[in-house]
Amino acid sequence: MKPPKFRYHAPSSQAEALDLLNAYGDEAVVLSGGQSLIPMLNLRLARPAEVIDLGSVGGMDLIVTEPDAVSVGARVTHRQMEADPDIARHLPMARDAAGFIGFRAIRNRGTVGGSVAHADPSAEWPVVLLALDGSVDLRSKSGARCLGGDDFFQTVFTTGRQADELVVSVRFASRFADNWGFSEFQRRTGDFAVVVAAVACAAGSGGIGEARVALAGVADRPVRCPEAEEALIATEDPQAVAEVARDAFDPVGDSHGSTAHRKQLVYAQVLRAAGEALARRDKGRPDG
Amino acid sequence: MSGPSPRLFGARVPRVEDGRLLKGQGRFVADVDFPGTLSAKFVRSDEASSDICDFDVKEALACEKVRAVFTGDDFAGAEIRCVSAYEGFQPSAQPILAVGRTRYAGEAMAMVVADDEYTAEDAAEHVTFAYRPLEPVAGLDDVLGEDREPVHSGWVGHAFVRRSMATDGFEEAAGSAAHRVTVELRNARHGAIPMEGRACVARYDQGSGLFELWTTTQIPHLIRAGLSDALGVAESRIRVISPDVGGGFGVKAQLYPEEVACCLAARELGRPVKWVEDRREHFIASHHSREHRHRVTGYFDDDGILLALEADIAVDMGAYSVFPWTSTMDCGMAMGILPGPYRVAEYSVTGTAYCTNKAPYGAYRGVARPAACFSIERLMDRIARHRGADRTEIRRRNLIGPDDYPWHSASGLVYDSGSLPESLDKALEVGGHNRLLADQAAARAEGRLFGIGLAVFTEQTAHTTREFQQRGVPIVFGYETAKVRLDATGTAVVSASIHDHGQGLETTLAQIAADRLGLSIEDIRVEYGDTDQVAYGAGTFASRSAVLAGGAVVKAADAVAETLRQVAAHRFEASPTDIVIGQGCLSVSGSPGASIEIAELCRLVYQRPESLPRGVEPILEASRTYDADPGTGVYTNAAHLASVEIDPLTGKTKVLSYAIAEDCGPMINPTIVEGQIFGGVAQGIGTALFEEFVYDDEARLLTTTFSDYLIPTMTDMPDFEVAHLETPSPHTIGGLKGMGEGGAIAPGAAIAAAVEDALSAVGDVFVDQLPLTPERVLAWLNQARIQGDGQ
Amino acid sequence: MVEIAVEVNGRAETAEVDGRMLLSDFLRGVLGLTGTHVGCEHGYCGSCTVLVDGASARSCLMLAAQANGSSVRTVEGLADGEELSSIQQAFKDCHGLQCGFCTPGLLMTVTEIAAEVASTPSRHQIREQLAGNLCRCTGYHQIVDAVEQALDQAAGGGR
Repeated sequence: MKPPKFRYHAPSSQAEALDLLNAYGDEAVVLSGGQSLIPMLNLRLARPAEVIDLGSVGGMDLIVTEPDAVSVGARVTHRQMEADPDIARHLPMARDAAGFIGFRAIRNRGTVGGSVAHADPSAEWPVVLLALDGSVDLRSKSGARCLGGDDFFQTVFTTGRQADELVVSVRFASRFADNWGFSEFQRRTGDFAVVVAAVACAAGSGGIGEARVALAGVADRPVRCPEAEEALIATEDPQAVAEVARDAFDPVGDSHGSTAHRKQLVYAQVLRAAGEALARRDKGRPDG
Repeated sequence: MSGPSPRLFGARVPRVEDGRLLKGQGRFVADVDFPGTLSAKFVRSDEASSDICDFDVKEALACEKVRAVFTGDDFAGAEIRCVSAYEGFQPSAQPILAVGRTRYAGEAMAMVVADDEYTAEDAAEHVTFAYRPLEPVAGLDDVLGEDREPVHSGWVGHAFVRRSMATDGFEEAAGSAAHRVTVELRNARHGAIPMEGRACVARYDQGSGLFELWTTTQIPHLIRAGLSDALGVAESRIRVISPDVGGGFGVKAQLYPEEVACCLAARELGRPVKWVEDRREHFIASHHSREHRHRVTGYFDDDGILLALEADIAVDMGAYSVFPWTSTMDCGMAMGILPGPYRVAEYSVTGTAYCTNKAPYGAYRGVARPAACFSIERLMDRIARHRGADRTEIRRRNLIGPDDYPWHSASGLVYDSGSLPESLDKALEVGGHNRLLADQAAARAEGRLFGIGLAVFTEQTAHTTREFQQRGVPIVFGYETAKVRLDATGTAVVSASIHDHGQGLETTLAQIAADRLGLSIEDIRVEYGDTDQVAYGAGTFASRSAVLAGGAVVKAADAVAETLRQVAAHRFEASPTDIVIGQGCLSVSGSPGASIEIAELCRLVYQRPESLPRGVEPILEASRTYDADPGTGVYTNAAHLASVEIDPLTGKTKVLSYAIAEDCGPMINPTIVEGQIFGGVAQGIGTALFEEFVYDDEARLLTTTFSDYLIPTMTDMPDFEVAHLETPSPHTIGGLKGMGEGGAIAPGAAIAAAVEDALSAVGDVFVDQLPLTPERVLAWLNQARIQGDGQ
Repeated sequence: MVEIAVEVNGRAETAEVDGRMLLSDFLRGVLGLTGTHVGCEHGYCGSCTVLVDGASARSCLMLAAQANGSSVRTVEGLADGEELSSIQQAFKDCHGLQCGFCTPGLLMTVTEIAAEVASTPSRHQIREQLAGNLCRCTGYHQIVDAVEQALDQAAGGGR
């Protein structure tokens, strides 16, 4: 279990990294924290010709609070997300989600941008990004653009990022800081999620004005469940929301659970996440 | 033990091996490198059963830094065969590299040798094979159900061997019993999975014709014997060295084709050849264990007293019979130990060891006893339910009592001693059974699923000649060897045929030797794991090393001490029987002035031979063996008490508490004993909740990483409560009994019982399968709801 | 090939390595620091854990090239000559190791935690923090004992 041959590049600036991406395109992979890429290299599931290590590229590990959102540099680690006070204040869901990612040593090195770009359908950041109305900032030699989560995540390990583009930061909306729930089912501490539910709401006139119910581990990419979102606004009843979500998906089974079992896990996680979101709304801001 | 009064025996002595291991100074096989060492990578079959039509190694050979590519025919002169003496046994021959046919997915087909691991792996990707897939015998469903071609040509049916036995009175007892209950139980295939995988480095010295194999093994001398057979080379030409080993638990107690292949490649290439198994290979190609299916019927009276027991045991042994155990070990052990701790007078059993297209099946801590314990304890819980009796009470009525020893079991075993009812009481006490009952009542009032489970077992340990003779194995593992040598500075080297890979034997044997020689523990160095150190022996397995090596050390140390006494007696003109040894000195009893330091006496023996009495040679060394007569084993017993809570939404089971009351006789070092118990229990909790090899329809293993094959992490374990009883064996030196495996035996049964107990608040279901995955637990919960609604 | 300069256990090391070489193989094979053990090479077992600039990292999930310019600490850098660090001593006192294969990774993770703790964590918290270090021998109980003792000392300034 050793990585296959590749050429290693360590650009010292973002511009240099973009030049390399421009030159190599599909032949290159970007190495950020490496906590997903290197296992895939070791198992020889990934065989890039070129590896572009962002380790010497400065300025990509900043957490910036904006009026309605928090911008998280692509090289911000999971550990930073767990520990940063601005994240705790504006994106408490993200702080909690970070704690579910792998183990301490993995969180020390793994990055938000790396995880988002990797687009594992059961990973934490993609589903949090969908729940928190997030977007992904991409840059290439020829320009910059921003993709919303729905457009960014396409299928397993596949995103809307073009081969010459670099994920430079990820933006999460902060308007859900008081009304959210996050529930993840892991077999053991630190395992890849089997199913994750992330629920975020914002108050409207006389009730919930906006509801977002996002799930990981149910499809080939993280997905929102519009039926469950409607049910949450209409009923404010976690059980009703959970039933709708359970019936909306037919996740593929594997050694961690059959389709039927995963549907039950969708029910359980949505029930808990929606319940938490409503309880937080009712109690004010217990985690403020 | 007669002799000097023990000072270290029984003490919680810190381990002497910890210093080097804590400082990163251990030496494991992967750390061993010789000048010019080449790296090997094996190309493995993707097909469980197939004809190999064609292969091409040219491209691999052309790769940079590649020295050789070997395929089946290159090593066709060698094979691994281990034939049981049981009547009707159908033998298998395991090639070193597959020849013409593959018999499990993961079987090695080619060996690439290159300058380093990276390039070996690169080149291995260029070896191509063309197969014609055959329909695999994928598991016990196939051997029991449909018609499939046997794995080995010329075989009749799929069984390596089927055996039956019954007591004379079985039919009558079963026929006249008032009640009967039948249970069918399944244990998933899983494995030992030590944190260090396998590895080996082979050297061949052309000048002397000597093979030297460094390998991760628990059984160096047996590996030498197996290599001698496979290579056709005398044992005197083979040295096997097993240095620090990162956990074994049985999976490193068999000879593997890779060990033979590295030796052959080293001879062929004239350079050392090293192979370090990667984790994926460990899952697919190291030996598997635990896959049992039992159908068990208990015949009992109105009081729930078990009158007769009937069992049909099936074990999926995979593709080949393994050296040195053969493929009969699990089945035989299950047949023998199934009646367990209970007074079963009449017994009828059939056991079948099946051959399938899966990786071969080897030893794993407990060998069949976890499955046997699961069966008999699940049966006891069913009988309790049938009779409306308390689960503890039904056990008390059936347990072998203190006055029943020696107990002759219905399967022909002789239990030497034990404390079964006391261990049960002690487990309830230390596990806080009354408090758990209160917690359960409170939990149930809140609608939570809280359960308590219990399991009792007796563990055959340190079995030797008679037992293994009966088991039909080609080598009878009858004894262990120890050599004790005092040097001229008065320190001792203890060499042993056992191996220590975490069990603390380096410390416990030093404790014993220090006591016998009157030295401090710092003056003892224990060595093991090198066939050049002692003549012969079997190694470490079957909870036997402390008993057998401990006994051998006592015998060898006493022999050396006797020489010291003679020399001292000569010096002081006293009788050897008046010489007292202790505190680093030899003294004449009752003569305070007549004393000499051991170090000084040792110097005299080696350097001043004129000071020796006539007839005493200037050597302070003795080798002794010990076989723990009568050879049928000594019996440790224990009771385990677990509590669990189930998440009704997800089916996830959390172990809340776990208590163990164990009687392994006198303990040499209680801290080490506790470590062995806890470690075994953790593996048993893995068996209970997590561990399972999952295959696709073509018998290819799917669970090949640590994210798919789940072993318990720190958060999956509760703190443990432990209590000790110390009933000495009447047979062994020091009354010692073995205990290395015990912890792993009962958790499956205890936790299954706890889960069933938790679900019983909803409805009556029978938990019949391990591991207790969330999905299975939810299925039982749904069944319980239906059952509960129906009442 | 990539030129790297790394400080390892306080010693400056320079080497030319293949870009794909894992940090674990660099430490073990190039520098001969075989105390760092390789148990799975996919980041799960934790045996290969080292400290990179003070933070625990899986050396099997890092390229040696990524460590360029960093300071790496391995198990060989814990003891002061013959004298065990307080964490190592706690593992010895509490029988927190058996075969010793996973031990270096555990010691490095605990060393990182000990540098941060202000008060002794609960046994549950210890288990949560160390869930990424698999041990197959001990059942963990005595490891938790050892870590409790070590962190108690660390929190009390006795480190």
